[in-house]
Amino acid sequence: MKDERLYDLIAAYGAEPMAWPEDERDAAMVHLKAHPDRFAVALDEARALDLAFEREALPDVPAGLAERILEAAPAAHSALAGWAGRLREMVFPNGLRWPAGATAAALVMGVSAGIFSAPATADDGYQTAEEEVVYAALGYDGFEAYIQEVDE
Amino acid sequence: MDLTACAGAEAGKFLPRILRQRRYCGPVSGISERDQIARAAAGDRTAQTALVNRHMPVVWRVAFRMLRDRQEAEDVTQETFLRAWKMLPDWEERAKFSTWACTVAINLCRDRLKKKKPVLMDELPEQIDISLRPEQALSQKQASAHITALVDRLPERQKEALTLSAFEGLGNIEAAEVMGISVEALESLLARGRRKLRLELAADSDA
Repeated sequence: MKDERLYDLIAAYGAEPMAWPEDERDAAMVHLKAHPDRFAVALDEARALDLAFEREALPDVPAGLAERILEAAPAAHSALAGWAGRLREMVFPNGLRWPAGATAAALVMGVSAGIFSAPATADDGYQTAEEEVVYAALGYDGFEAYIQEVDE
Repeated sequence: MDLTACAGAEAGKFLPRILRQRRYCGPVSGISERDQIARAAAGDRTAQTALVNRHMPVVWRVAFRMLRDRQEAEDVTQETFLRAWKMLPDWEERAKFSTWACTVAINLCRDRLKKKKPVLMDELPEQIDISLRPEQALSQKQASAHITALVDRLPERQKEALTLSAFEGLGNIEAAEVMGISVEALESLLARGRRKLRLELAADSDA
């Protein structure tokens, strides 16, 4: 930190070090501590103005302004109420948005298509070894024998 | 760094406005601003209230300092948040909410000032005619009105810079971003504004 820069900081931001840019503050304070007399006049002048700023009085924020602003705020979607809404909040805490929304939709469509188009079993039309055991336990010689007796 | 401790060590006797503002503007809850904005956009009234409570006073004070009219400052504040409610669903983390809100408010104020006074603000004369009598022993209220009058008569950009930096305690980068200028330009405006005010106050004391 050079003298010139510290003078610039005081001239722009005042005498209070906390008003100085954060990235230069520590270096400026070290420099100031090393040469206090050099900057005394500049600091006094700046401090007088800082104190004048302190005297500025502003009226209070108008009563009810926050409420009036909130009246225009977006409302929560009623369709999302209940358990579905809570589930969505958990899965998509930041909202259902592209591409997350599209990904989720594609997933649902894919799973649905798979469920409704797939055969009931992997080897439909054929008796599995497990089924043979079940029908044998019931006293039938397989599925065909069971159907025959039921039809009769 | 402990702001209060540092202020105590350096300023010692009082807690300056700038530190009060910075303390006020600090984090108020455990959730991030991104989460707060996402919740507000989804209609979470608690998050919306938190955003308003945290940022509305700053927006209103900036607007009031620029316009010096309570009703107009309120209109600007409401318009700023109306735009925020529309923006929130598509919010991108390009800026802090405070920066975005102050930028919108400042631009709305500039529009209103242009309509009122179709003169380039930076072309206003630099000499300030002080209406208050300097020999008068100033009460607290008079002193307040005096510094307010001095600041009001600064060129518009210097007033904006002082409002954001000295009065509202925005950091240099944020204040420059709000004004759409470089940090160097901000510092130049601040230094010129402060110098002018200092000279006027000194002239008052000498008179």
